[in-house]
Amino acid sequence: MEFSEQLPIVVQALNQGFLQTLKLFFVTLLGAIPLGLIISFGSMSRFRPLSYLTKIVVWIIRGTPLMIQLLIIYFMPGLMGNNIWGGGESGRFLAASVAFVFNYACYFSEIYRGGIQGVPKGQEEAGLVLGMTKSQIFFKITLLQMIKRIVPPMSNEIITLVKDTSLARIIALQEVIWAGQSFMKGNQGIAGVIWPLFFTAVYYLIFNGILTVLLGRLEKKLEYFR
Amino acid sequence: MKRKLLSVVLCAGLVVSVMAGCGSKSGGDSEAASDMDYVKEKGTLVVGITNFEPMDYKDENGEWIGFDADLAKEFADSLGVEAEFVEIDWDNKILELEGQTVDCIWNGMTLTPEVTSAMECTDSYLANAQVVVVPADVADQYQDEESLADLNFAAEAGSAGEAELEARELNVTPVTAQADALMEVAAGTSDAAVIDLLMAAAMIGEGTSYADLTYTVSLNSEEYGVGFRKGSDLTAELNDFFAKAYEDGTIQELAEKYGVHDMLVK
Repeated sequence: MEFSEQLPIVVQALNQGFLQTLKLFFVTLLGAIPLGLIISFGSMSRFRPLSYLTKIVVWIIRGTPLMIQLLIIYFMPGLMGNNIWGGGESGRFLAASVAFVFNYACYFSEIYRGGIQGVPKGQEEAGLVLGMTKSQIFFKITLLQMIKRIVPPMSNEIITLVKDTSLARIIALQEVIWAGQSFMKGNQGIAGVIWPLFFTAVYYLIFNGILTVLLGRLEKKLEYFR
Repeated sequence: MKRKLLSVVLCAGLVVSVMAGCGSKSGGDSEAASDMDYVKEKGTLVVGITNFEPMDYKDENGEWIGFDADLAKEFADSLGVEAEFVEIDWDNKILELEGQTVDCIWNGMTLTPEVTSAMECTDSYLANAQVVVVPADVADQYQDEESLADLNFAAEAGSAGEAELEARELNVTPVTAQADALMEVAAGTSDAAVIDLLMAAAMIGEGTSYADLTYTVSLNSEEYGVGFRKGSDLTAELNDFFAKAYEDGTIQELAEKYGVHDMLVK
């Protein structure tokens, strides 16, 4: 088959795969951004058992490879006699989402903690002098200053997340690299063709380019809080 | 005080939501008496496959077809259930089976000792071979086993090809897939690859990225079977089904259709 005949078939398959990549990316962000905040509260809690427990969980999640976590989360329930994910592709996506949300929430929580603790103590004291409650101080004083501080490290994690989604192919989630590889073995009459695998890099590159611009703009907007 | 309360509530909320997530889809928890009952009860036979022409691949409408896929559909029919095809990572096939995320592995699987010890396998229904793939311009130097001694081979990790190479004490680099083994040869990072005949016929030569590769020596002959969970009663059921399908010509017809008639065992 000529290259010009292959191109539309390959691009269509890669688009479909990249859609899965994007789905996993956005689900992870939507889940991990709030969950990370909850975990960071846990690790900063003055209630010792809670902060120790949270720190142990964060240690386990950050201390083991995401690939192992994916395998454990997807296969362990079934190996113990009750497959909670079902067999189909939706089950694989759900399991991958759970693993990614949890993993990234733990990384985010540490970034949040750094951001919150980096806001000078004087700010909180000023709030107290003005008679604000603890929650007013957090939402009206600390939170926005924290957001400004965490944008650069969060941008780093978000860009890494785009590429980390490719790890989900270990549980056969059919993301863009899976789609690229399928043409090496044979897919839709195209077999033994290598270039689609390398072509997937273009998708990541373009998407990360867009993200870099958007995150840069966000950082500029928050300059206000200097 | 308020903050402590908040943290306790959030913690509890987290635990509850995780548990709810786990509990919501616990369909398979009733301990079925046998594997066949389990499959019949849920109404689907989930077949673990890889995209592997001509055994399992998609037609223009996205429907799974192929020699194995068509047979699997007929077998599911005979059980009164629906066949559902799921692409898996071949390295994880035993995990998929034992983890109940698939019910059988039916994808031109070679019956190696590893496979037969980890799965309840059917009798063989097709025969295959592992062949040596080399660049076409040097192919005439490698027409017999003795000539292979100095070559660096690439073969899929855990594949029958890798086992054959190791048994002959040849240099082998394990790679993740048969397709990767071919890429090694094309890129010159390995001198030769060992993949199975079925793949070699489909993936190299005219019209592929591997137009200048060819295959020469056969290292063995081997048998294809279908794997179920250890102790499954579906294995015997499928053996009966194969016997019947051979008798009434269904298998011969499918083999003709997908060009694998030379590989039939009977």
